[in-house]
Amino acid sequence: MKKLLTLVSLIAVTALLLTACGGGSNGNAKDMLSAIKQRGYILVSTDPNYEPQSFLNTEGKRPSDTKCPSDALTTAEMQGFDVDVAKAIGDDLGVETCFATPSWDAITAGSWANKWDVSVGSMTITTERQKVLDFSVPYYYTPAVVAVAKDAGITSLDQLAGKALCAGTSTTYETWLNHGDIGLPASSIYAQAPANITVVSLDTDQECAQAIASGRKDFVGYVTSDTVVDANIAAGMPVVKLGSPVYSEDLAAAFDKSSALDSTSLRAEVDKLFTKMHSDGTLTNLSMKWFKADLTQAPH
Amino acid sequence: MAAFAEPIPQKSQAELLYEAQLRRERQFRVNVALSWLALLLIIIFLFSGEKILGIKTIGLNGTFVRENWLFIAGGLSETIRISLLSITLATFLALIAALGRLSKFPPIYALSTFYVSLIRGTPLYLQIFFFFLALPQLGIVLPGLWAGVLALGLNYGAYMSEIFRAGIASVSKGQHEAAMALGMTPGQTMRRIVIPQALRFAIPPTGNEFIAMTKDSALVSATGFVHELMWRATKVGRAQFNNLEALIVAAVFYWILTLILSYFQGLIEARMSKGDR
Repeated sequence: MKKLLTLVSLIAVTALLLTACGGGSNGNAKDMLSAIKQRGYILVSTDPNYEPQSFLNTEGKRPSDTKCPSDALTTAEMQGFDVDVAKAIGDDLGVETCFATPSWDAITAGSWANKWDVSVGSMTITTERQKVLDFSVPYYYTPAVVAVAKDAGITSLDQLAGKALCAGTSTTYETWLNHGDIGLPASSIYAQAPANITVVSLDTDQECAQAIASGRKDFVGYVTSDTVVDANIAAGMPVVKLGSPVYSEDLAAAFDKSSALDSTSLRAEVDKLFTKMHSDGTLTNLSMKWFKADLTQAPH
Repeated sequence: MAAFAEPIPQKSQAELLYEAQLRRERQFRVNVALSWLALLLIIIFLFSGEKILGIKTIGLNGTFVRENWLFIAGGLSETIRISLLSITLATFLALIAALGRLSKFPPIYALSTFYVSLIRGTPLYLQIFFFFLALPQLGIVLPGLWAGVLALGLNYGAYMSEIFRAGIASVSKGQHEAAMALGMTPGQTMRRIVIPQALRFAIPPTGNEFIAMTKDSALVSATGFVHELMWRATKVGRAQFNNLEALIVAAVFYWILTLILSYFQGLIEARMSKGDR
């Protein structure tokens, strides 16, 4: 019995020791920018489900001297266009860039409880999201397209009427399919969603493409960004783009309005940086590197 | 000098019967192992992607598996860590809840039954999100790992309290009476007489719960902050459009993990049942 008790307490102590080095506190600074500089790292949320925007670098080794909290990833463990843009923000502020990886709907919902500072995750600026989030100036623009299964025999948007279509949960694609207000200027919207469609919302856009590739027939197509469909096709998935883009999105960094820290000065800093990166061609270079196309020119 | 011939040992009828029984048992174990191997081969064949004798099989992208299995395996330590922490918390809570359930003091009894009822009456998936989303309003921002451990520990603690209660109830009344006759206080009776005997009943099912918990730790990845097996599998799977392959790799690791745990559970069970004869 004594032995058993010793064993149990040993396990408990080991377990505690294993995790003793977790979690950090935010300090007491009211201003987010100075808080970030004080702790020496900026915590950026991005959803590593999307290549080439943001995905894991499976060969990357976490540096031993990193300041990042234990449940955040370092720049070595992530890669992609968004990741490079986030890194540029960290470099500009002179701090390390760390990545938090919550699910996408947790990012768009706001109320981040200061679990991360900023989202650099190709987020579309919409009126709905502006109620809970503050946005920077856009850092690039992507056209949204409808993709359909190759064997569906569909060649125009009108033929989709009455059919089922798929989109990722809490994406603007889902809102567009539901005929909701995606909150973009009218000049950015090129087409309305087909009538009487059934919307299937899956965890991410990627599940839509994979469901079609695996031979499921729950929906004939899906809506996502042009770049994602390009990646899907490049990966050999049996899908085709349906005509021209349906709308164009302004993608920006986002900040939580309900944050306990004041993000005004950080937002100004990020705006200044993005404007500079637009004019000196840094963003164009990054876009060419990851998308093989310049997506940084405003469409309207 | 005449050497004495060693007498040829003559086996008794009983020894012969015993040996025959041992042989049969050994043969049975060998046959079981061979059948396992055959079943395993059938599963591997089903995932070969080849069409043999007109049977369709499931094709997997071998390149993806080769390039990413090591990365996915990197989540094993996190999975084991969550499971160890959660089972520690769960055992502690279960013991308290079981003792509370045996209490004659109404508020304590109520607290214990209320806890078990509330936790068993709601899904684990929901509880994980609850601790992740609700606690920040109280100013408690737990790292993803701790929110997960809290949810798993509370959940399994509720289930395991029933096991502990049954264990305590299995100690016969005579033991209590004997302890009382020796002049032990109720606390001493519990500590020295009842709990050691109750543990013998409670430990094997606890091992079973631990195995189940190891797999339920996959749910903790839903919040996105715990980079364990399931999280790693879904992320690389999605980004490279190979969800199925990634999930199968994770499945293999969960299986291996539970095979190892089952082996240890078997050892503990054998040890605990020694006193039964």
